[in-house]
Amino acid sequence: MEITTSNISKTFKVRKKTINALYNVSIEVPKRSVAALVGPNGAGKTTLIKILSTLMLPTSGTAYVHGYDIIREAKNVRKSIGLATSGERLFYYRLSGYENLVFFASLYGLPLQEAKRKSIELLRMVGLSDFINIPYMKYSLGMQRRLALARALINDPPVLLLDEPTLGIDPISAREFRRMIKMLSRDKTVFFTSHYMGEIDELSDIVFFIKNGKIILKGSVEELKERVGKVIEVIVPERHINKTITRFVVNLRYGKAYLRIPKRCIDFIGPIKNNMEIIGESEPSLEDAYVILVGGQN
Amino acid sequence: MKRFSSIISRLYAFIYLRGFKIWASYKTQVILNILSWIIPIFTYYFVGTSFGQGFVSYIGVRNYTAFIVIGLAFQGYVSSVITTISGRMRSEQLFGTIEYYMLSPTGVFGMMIYSAVWGFILNTINTVAIVSIGICLGVSFLGANLIGAFIIIVELLVSTLGLSMIAGGIIMVVKQGNPISFFFTTVTALLSGTVFPVRVLPYYVRLISYAIPLTPALNGLRLALLKGASFHALYSYFIILLLFDLVLVPLGFLIYKIGFDCARKKGTLSEY
Repeated sequence: MEITTSNISKTFKVRKKTINALYNVSIEVPKRSVAALVGPNGAGKTTLIKILSTLMLPTSGTAYVHGYDIIREAKNVRKSIGLATSGERLFYYRLSGYENLVFFASLYGLPLQEAKRKSIELLRMVGLSDFINIPYMKYSLGMQRRLALARALINDPPVLLLDEPTLGIDPISAREFRRMIKMLSRDKTVFFTSHYMGEIDELSDIVFFIKNGKIILKGSVEELKERVGKVIEVIVPERHINKTITRFVVNLRYGKAYLRIPKRCIDFIGPIKNNMEIIGESEPSLEDAYVILVGGQN
Repeated sequence: MKRFSSIISRLYAFIYLRGFKIWASYKTQVILNILSWIIPIFTYYFVGTSFGQGFVSYIGVRNYTAFIVIGLAFQGYVSSVITTISGRMRSEQLFGTIEYYMLSPTGVFGMMIYSAVWGFILNTINTVAIVSIGICLGVSFLGANLIGAFIIIVELLVSTLGLSMIAGGIIMVVKQGNPISFFFTTVTALLSGTVFPVRVLPYYVRLISYAIPLTPALNGLRLALLKGASFHALYSYFIILLLFDLVLVPLGFLIYKIGFDCARKKGTLSEY
């Protein structure tokens, strides 16, 4: 296994209040696979990424990345990972993309000529060759994400940790990004967090669902869909929507609600059964699996 | 050889890219920086000349211009290095890049050291400018003991590094409002004999000034550069500054490590 955690917990104390960001999280990610960590906002995804990258210490539990203990062998873990986080505050605004990469390459001890050569190569790989000398502050969000990926690859790490890598970027850029991840996963292990089910469905070999700091479900995309089973698509008047079935609502329009309900749950949805119009039956999507098996934030 | 190449690469990155290129991109700020280095010397020059030789002799200074040239030129080393490091720490937190330092072999500690080099270079330009203006205003450095002065400057910089690590460790926890930076940039100008000799200070305040490495450093530098004092005459200053180094450097390491571990435990490394 390339990434292993065993009962990782993380507790924060904020103004006399105790927050359990992670609770007994145990995951295993095989070598050269793509693993996704999915969960609502505040579920603990970024906290786990930070712990695996040694930026944060866990309160309890153990974890290994590329065979190294994240606490006792933190230096070796850092040599083995590349990290890309979301956010705009990640580079020096007044330096160009190229200068930023040369800077960070030098932090890894690359001789200057090699740092420059590597930076050009990475910029080409992520599709930023035409923007080498443009200051980072002029980059679009998609370009910023690509530069962050390039930086994560500077030391050619065997493990990539990506925190919401396509957050806020346009569909074409996101598609391009996914293509790069797929290519990289041929010889690297990729562990990423995301909210985009389509992306997770397309990329992941294994998915972990996290909620309130706990891993509540894990498996391959196919396994998770199988747990949901076939889905019935129905339309009901909006006024009949209650707490029981809110999670199945896909959209609301003109006083009607469009729902996707697991076939095996149909008998348990209550009297609304009498007011629904069945449109059809389909295979479940990963989003269906998430909504049904994980639910909302509470 | 590879180690040497990587040091060169890091120096290029910190001095040219992170230091000079970003600093020079704010053109108005560059002009204001240069003016802030130069104007104070004229301010104090005219203070000294307007009060007259009698007054400065009264406070034990024969040539006030020479006195303040040394004070302003070398006080800047302390304040700018500490300000650069603690300011750099804070700006990396604001930029969101501090986590990437930690992930790299250079580390946050390496960032502080290499940033100190940039602070040193910037202040050396400042020092050269002030000394040059001093020469134009009649200050003479003929017969100066340059090697003795160099030893004192090196020891002063080592103690400043210790103080910078303390400042860096504190900034990692408090994020803003660093008391070490405030003290060593603002209060030292008042207490360390930068623009007037410490003997004019009240006794109890003078005791504080003796606890600041800059105070003996400035006294020693004035002796070495203005009077050409021998190594024998400077020996006590070498020892005092060495003692400061032996205390401040390990203390700096310790406080830096405590601050760093605290930020890592709380997960607040990149918070600002």
